[in-house]
Amino acid sequence: MMHWFSGLPLAQAQNLMFFEAEGGSQRAYLMAFAAIFVGLLLVFAMFNTPIRLRRPIIVAVTFLAGAFYFLSWLWPIPIGYEPGQKPLNGTEAFGLALQDGTTVMGKILQVIQGILLFLGVYSVLRVHAGRFVKKQKDWAFSLVLLLSMMTMIIFGYAEYIDNVRSNGAHSAVESWTIWQYGKDFLFDGMLQNMDAAMFSIIAFFILSAAYRAFRIRSIESTILLTSALIMILALMGLAEYGSTQVINGMTGGDPSHFANNFSLTSVRIWIRDNLQGPSIRALEWGIFIGGLAMGIRLWLSLERSGGGS
Amino acid sequence: MGEQYYDTGYVAILIVLLFSGFVLFNIRRAIASKGSGKDVYIRRIAGLNAIEEAIGRATEMGRPVLMVPGIGGLNAISMQALNIFGHVTKTAARFATPIRLCCADAAVYTVAQEIISETYQSEGLMERFDQDSVRFVSDRQFAFATGVSGTIHREKVAAAFFLGEFFAESLIFAETANSVGAIQVAGSTQNTQTPFFIAACDYVLISDEFYAASAYLSRQPVLVGSLVGQDWVKMTIMAMVFLGSLSSTFESLGGPRTTSPDGEPLPFPARKSVGDSGFYRMLSPEKPKEADIPKRELEESEAAPQGEEGGGA
Repeated sequence: MMHWFSGLPLAQAQNLMFFEAEGGSQRAYLMAFAAIFVGLLLVFAMFNTPIRLRRPIIVAVTFLAGAFYFLSWLWPIPIGYEPGQKPLNGTEAFGLALQDGTTVMGKILQVIQGILLFLGVYSVLRVHAGRFVKKQKDWAFSLVLLLSMMTMIIFGYAEYIDNVRSNGAHSAVESWTIWQYGKDFLFDGMLQNMDAAMFSIIAFFILSAAYRAFRIRSIESTILLTSALIMILALMGLAEYGSTQVINGMTGGDPSHFANNFSLTSVRIWIRDNLQGPSIRALEWGIFIGGLAMGIRLWLSLERSGGGS
Repeated sequence: MGEQYYDTGYVAILIVLLFSGFVLFNIRRAIASKGSGKDVYIRRIAGLNAIEEAIGRATEMGRPVLMVPGIGGLNAISMQALNIFGHVTKTAARFATPIRLCCADAAVYTVAQEIISETYQSEGLMERFDQDSVRFVSDRQFAFATGVSGTIHREKVAAAFFLGEFFAESLIFAETANSVGAIQVAGSTQNTQTPFFIAACDYVLISDEFYAASAYLSRQPVLVGSLVGQDWVKMTIMAMVFLGSLSSTFESLGGPRTTSPDGEPLPFPARKSVGDSGFYRMLSPEKPKEADIPKRELEESEAAPQGEEGGGA
């Protein structure tokens, strides 16, 4: 038994609280500055690392991070564990430590995502500010984008700060200030509606794509057209009703008659359960296997990315 | 989570480990044989054969090639998409064809920029690399769709590659690219979007063809070995499906069920379902019951106040 694991930090243990601080407290600011300092130090160290050493470092970090998640998935986690309980043995203690680590890793990932978002915003600014400054083709669109972005950032942050400062006193519509009105107009009034407009375009695109796809060009496209037609008709109330009436006329309303199998609804269900369902499962298996192999190659750094050798 | 080892749950873990073993074994075999991977037959994948044709067309027309790695985060799917784009870029760099790679995730964007610049560097054509060709557009789904559609329209792209995780925006991209007459090669791991791509695009990579692409294009021993490992996994799954069907069939021939899964007698015999078969139970562990939860002591910090209370009483 691996009882030596028993000393590892648990979800409920106080030592994990080291990474947490009350929002707005002196400790929180201190920790934020310390984190930024350590982060910058790491970036500086990475920049000054000899190029030949960079790959081994990346390989090691990738392997360790992958090994952590692999173990988190593989290691048994105690059944029915309640906070405040003592783990039975080292296996349980290590499982709980891994659970705790998952939360910490999640927070680290969030920080990294936040830093990377800055790079993303920088990319947007560089492309569009450059186009505007150089007065390249369609520079006016870039200007609109930059202005929209700035306006949204200003109103978004101002509304957030106002809410924090007023301790939520401006949350009711009656007590809104210009910041709440501005954010509501920009976000709910414009952005959400523009999103909805883009989404609704799909309805028209489905028609135009279907018009091109559902043509008899080959055996495959004929099968596609036929099954699509059955599916569409079987979901149309009137066509489905007509088909049922025809079948009832043939069978005299006998539910055990063989011809009932040829009603539009029966054929649709047969296609769905016997052709579509298994095919989708097979495709999903393929994706799962490919993903597994890709994951292993990435974890062990066997993959050499891109077109480079 | 923890219930994975309860009852028969460990079987699924063992199966995944076995599958991983198949992949690793074949990678090792491929590396050990030091083959170029050309001796392994990989069936023709039309969408990948069309890459050169699409880039050639873009070069002739003097228009850019568009690549979109989906709207998912940085994961195996987006990495695979970027790998394929690396190969596309390699060909585009040789022909001096401009490229546009639009990202919806900041992490994917940073990795994409590295991969694309590395590709130009490895081809010795760094002077042709335009830093703005790899762009972060937006992490909001339809804002991204609008941005990419705008790029397609304004720059009149001649070829478009949509590979990765796509959702509702897939058809917007495909139809917009079609409207400007671009050759389209698409592939999504989202089965709900594949039909849209099939309806709207010229070539579609279906299911694991997407993952086979880099092996098909580069023939690197590691990738080809991995592909062979994947085929082993598929054959094992096919054998399991066959064995599962046989076992369910034979078990259902043994007459109706007279007891519940807990062993309680049923009021009337019930027809056996797939869930009653041993093969199904082997892969689907039962949830632990109350009686299975072990008794644990409380931590000292938790137990102390209770002890005091007890003493007081």
